[in-house]
Amino acid sequence: MYWLEKNRVRELVEKLSREYAVFGPRYDEVSEEVIFDRLADPGQLNLQAPISYNPPKYILFPHYEEILKYTYDRKSKQVAIEKFSKIQPKALVGIRSCDLTGILCLDRFFLGQEFVDEFYLEHRKKLFLISSTCVRPFPQCFCVCTDSGPAAREGFDLDLTFTGEGYLVLAGSRKGQKLVDELKLEPAGKEASSLRKKIIGESISSFDKFALENKAWISRATNRLTTGFVKPEVWEYIGNQCFECGACSFVCPTCSCFNVEDVNRIPQTDRVRTWDSCSFEGYTKMAGDHNPRKPVEDRRNKRFFCKLSYSQSKKYLRPGCVGCGRCARVCPGDIGLPNVVTYIRREITGEEDR
Amino acid sequence: MSYERGLCNFCGTGCGHLLLVEDNRPRGVYPLPGHPLSRGRLCVRGWHIHELLQTPERITEPLVRDGNGFRQVSYQEALAFTAEKLRKFAGEEIAFLGSPRVSNEENYLFGKFARAVMKSNNLSLSSDAGLEESAEVLLAGCGWPAMTASLSGLREADFILVAGGDLTRQNPIIASEIHLARRAGAFVVTISPRKTQMAKLSRMHLRPEPGTAFYLLLGIARMMLDEGLVEREFVESRIENASEYMDYLLSLNIGEIFELTGVDSQEAATVARRLAEANSAYGFYTVGIQSLDRRTIAALFNLFLQAGKVGRNKGGICPVTGISNLLGSLDMGISPRFLPGYLPAEDESSWKKLEELWRTSLVPREGKSVASCLLDNPELKALVVVDHDEEIIRNTNRIKQLELVVYFGSYENAFSRLAHVIFPRTTYIEDDGTFTSSERRVQLSRKKVEPPAGVRPLRETLSSLAVLLGHNWKYPSPEEVMKEINRVIPWYSEITYRKLEDRAGIKWPVDELHPEGSDFLKLEELSGKLSFVVEHPGPSSELPDLTSGEKFHFKLVVGRSNYFWHQNSIMKRTFIPRREYNALLLLYPKGFVEVSEEDARALGLREKQQVKIISEKAEVTLAVRISPDILPGMLYIPYFFDEMIPEFLHRQVAGLEKSEEFFLPVNLEKVV
Repeated sequence: MYWLEKNRVRELVEKLSREYAVFGPRYDEVSEEVIFDRLADPGQLNLQAPISYNPPKYILFPHYEEILKYTYDRKSKQVAIEKFSKIQPKALVGIRSCDLTGILCLDRFFLGQEFVDEFYLEHRKKLFLISSTCVRPFPQCFCVCTDSGPAAREGFDLDLTFTGEGYLVLAGSRKGQKLVDELKLEPAGKEASSLRKKIIGESISSFDKFALENKAWISRATNRLTTGFVKPEVWEYIGNQCFECGACSFVCPTCSCFNVEDVNRIPQTDRVRTWDSCSFEGYTKMAGDHNPRKPVEDRRNKRFFCKLSYSQSKKYLRPGCVGCGRCARVCPGDIGLPNVVTYIRREITGEEDR
Repeated sequence: MSYERGLCNFCGTGCGHLLLVEDNRPRGVYPLPGHPLSRGRLCVRGWHIHELLQTPERITEPLVRDGNGFRQVSYQEALAFTAEKLRKFAGEEIAFLGSPRVSNEENYLFGKFARAVMKSNNLSLSSDAGLEESAEVLLAGCGWPAMTASLSGLREADFILVAGGDLTRQNPIIASEIHLARRAGAFVVTISPRKTQMAKLSRMHLRPEPGTAFYLLLGIARMMLDEGLVEREFVESRIENASEYMDYLLSLNIGEIFELTGVDSQEAATVARRLAEANSAYGFYTVGIQSLDRRTIAALFNLFLQAGKVGRNKGGICPVTGISNLLGSLDMGISPRFLPGYLPAEDESSWKKLEELWRTSLVPREGKSVASCLLDNPELKALVVVDHDEEIIRNTNRIKQLELVVYFGSYENAFSRLAHVIFPRTTYIEDDGTFTSSERRVQLSRKKVEPPAGVRPLRETLSSLAVLLGHNWKYPSPEEVMKEINRVIPWYSEITYRKLEDRAGIKWPVDELHPEGSDFLKLEELSGKLSFVVEHPGPSSELPDLTSGEKFHFKLVVGRSNYFWHQNSIMKRTFIPRREYNALLLLYPKGFVEVSEEDARALGLREKQQVKIISEKAEVTLAVRISPDILPGMLYIPYFFDEMIPEFLHRQVAGLEKSEEFFLPVNLEKVV
C-alpha cells in the first residue's frame, strides 16, 4: 500500500489526462448535486463529494453509440460495411465501490458469455479505474446488504482510501502499479493495511446513522423472489406505480439491456446502439401482439427478479443489485428497489400500507 | 463529452435535465438532480430527447415550392420571394399559426410580426385546446390567467383533485408529484370516465358518464353547501356574485344530477368534506393536448373558490399545459383574444398601449384563430406557420387553395409539405431562449450546440423579413428580445438572463413588487374582487341531451392523450418512445375503437373484430379493442389515425372540440 498526499491528487489527474480523457465526480453549480462527468479541469474533481447522481456506466456503455456504418453503392451494387471506432482511452477517478461492482457485472454480461461484445471490450480495455472507499455511507446507500461496498475488493487499477490527511493507495493492476511508480509514491507503512480496515469498519458501522433512506431486507427478498412467493397483489401494487419511464434501468450500474436501430444519414446508414429497459411494453413485444410480459406488473416483476433472484446471481456471480440506491431517487412512482424490498417485507410481516 | 444543464422541451412540466454533448451533438440525457420541480426525474419522452435532437431528418436549407416538390434556394432568394408575396396581403387576408414549443422570445417576435408588420390579428396556436378558455375563466374569476399555485409545495398538500386527461401520460412528473403527495398523506381524487393510471393511484376515483363532469362538480359544490361546509363569511365578503351563485347551486335538483353523472352521491359528499377540511388543496386539470371544456373549468374553479382554497399561500387552481411553452406562448400574446401580457384584444385601450410600446400603428381589429379562419374566412389567402408538429391537419383542402403558405420549422412534416416556402429553424438547443412551464416558471435554455451550417434562428429570419417589409427590426440576440419583453409584459418586467442564469427558473409575476418571482396568487394583491365564473352553456350542451339518446346506444369519446403523444409526430424521430407509442399503430393500422369488457361480453365481440361505428351523419369501420378501463355504454377512439379522423370525425363535427367532455352518440354493429 502507498501514500498519496492530499495535494497531489491534481498531479495524479494531470498525469492521467495526458493519456486519458479523465472523468470524475464534480459539483453542478446550480443544483449543487454531484455528477460523474468529464472533467474540463482537474480542479473540478471532488473526491470528498457524495456518491454521484449518475453512475459512470455511460462512459463505457453510452446512451447512444454508433457501432457500424454501411453505404450502398448503386453503380457497383456493393455494400461497404465499416466498424465505428472512435473509442478513446478514459480514466475514471473516484468511482465508488458500488459502481465498480456494476462495471464488473457489465463485464460478465458483455464479455463473459458466448458472444463477446467488441465495442464494450474496446471501451473496457482502454479504461483506467481509480476507486475510492466510502469512508461514510450516504443516505441512499445499502451496499452492505448487497455485498458491494463500502470499499472495493477487486477490479480497480488504483484504489484510494481517505484518512483525513491523505490517501492510502492500493495498486490493483500492472497499469496501476506503473502509475504509482511514475508518481514515485512512498509506501504507506506497516500500519496502512490495518488503518484501511479500520476506516472501512467504521464506515460499515455508521450505516445505521447515515444510510437512513433505505433499510433493505435483501436476503429475505431474494429468497421470496427466487421461490416465487411474492403474491400477485404485491406485484400489482408495484405495477400501478410504474410510470414506464425506464429510469431505473438507465441509472442502474448493472443494467445492460440495449436496443439497436439503423439511422439513415444519407448516403450512409449508421447502426446505433441505445439503452433499453425491461419496463417498456415494446421491449418484450412479439409479432401479432403477443407479449409474455404484457401487464406492467409482469415487467416490474422481471426487473426485480433480474436484480435479486438466485438464478440471475449465477450470471453475475453476485446479486444484480449493487446497493447504490439510485433507482429510488429517479423513480416517479415509489418503487425503487429498496422500496420493493420493503413491500415484499410488508407482505411477510403484515405491516400496513402508508 | 460533458453534461450541460438544460431543460426538457416536450410537455409543459419543464423538467430540468443534463444533456450530454459530444462533438457538437447531443449524445445522451440525464435528469438534473436538484431541480425544484422535477427533482432528478424524467419521463420516457424526456429520457430520449437526445434521440430527437440528433435526428438526421432536419430541414437545413430554405426551400421554395417547385411543382410537386421543392427547390433549394439561398436565404436571400427565399426572403425576397416571401417578402414580395407578403406585401400583397392585407391583415385580414393572412393568418399566423404559432407553436407552443418555441421560446418566449421567438413567440413574442412572431406575434409582433403578425400584428405590427402584417397588421393581422389572426394569430393563434396549434394546440391551444382549453388554454385560452382556462385563462379567460381564471382572469374573470381571480385576475390571474394561469396556475394560482406552485407545484414545489405539492408534497405538503392535504387534498388534490385531478380532472381531465391522464396526467400520468400527459405530464408524468407532475403526476409523480401528486402520487408522492398521496403517499405523504394527501387525499387524491380523480374525476374521469376512464380508469386512468392517475385514477389507479388516487384514493378515490369518480367516474362520471362522458359529458357530465360539469354536473358532477356542481353536485359536489351543492353537497358542500348542504353539509354546511362553506365558509359563508369568506365567500360573501370576498366574492362579488356569491349570493347569486349559491342560489343557483341551491336551485339544482341534486338527485337528478347524480343520476345523470352515474356517481354515488355519498362519494361526492366525501370529496366535498375532504376539500372543505383541507388546509392545502390543489385542483388540477389538463390543457393543451387534451382539455376540459370551458364550463367544466369554471365549475372546478368555482368549487375551489367557494371552499376558500384560491388565493391562499398553499394550494390553488392548477391548469397543466401539455406542451413545453404553451403557457409562455399565450403570455406572449399568440392568441386572437389576447395581446402580449393578456391585454384583451377587444379593448381599444389595449391596442393604444401596444402602439405606444411598439411605436407603430396597429389595426385594432378583432382577429380569429387560424382554425376558424380556415373554416369560415373566404378572404383568407395566406398562412404563416411555425413548427407545427401535429400530424392530422384539418382543412387541408382549404390550405391547399391558399396563395401562400410560409413554414418555419426544424423538421419536415405534414404541414411543411403544404408550404410554398420553407425556412429552416434552429432547435431549442441551438439558440438561447426562455420557456414558461405550467407553474409559470420561466427557465432559460442556453445554446448547447451549433446549428447545421446555414440554419438560422426564427428571430433572424423574421427580422430579415420585417426589414424587407420596411420595419426597422434589430434583434441581435434572444437576450435583446427579452429586454423588450420586459417593457411590454408587466409580469415579465424583471426577468433577466442574468437572474435566470444560475437558477432553475423563476415564476411570474416577476416585477418590482416580486423581483424574485411569485409562488402563489396572493389575495391581498388582487386589484378587483374574486368572482364566481358563470358560463353560458358550452359546446357540449349543444348536443341534444346528456344520454346517448334513444336512437343511439353508445357515447363515443375521442381521446388525445392515451397511448400516444401528440400524434407521434416528434416521437417518430426517437427510437424507444417511437417503439412504445407506435406499437398500437402496428397492431391496428387502421385505427381501433375501445369497448368495455361488459359490452364486449354482452355483444359477443372479440379482440380485433371489425365493427361499424354509425353516427347520425357518418360511419366508420374499426377493429375492436377490449378495454378494462372504460365504462359500459362508452366507446373510445384515439385521435391519431390520419385516415379515419378526417373522414369520420371532421366531416360531421365542424368545430370538433378537443375537450374530453365531448362525445358523439353512436351505434355499434358487427361487420358480417
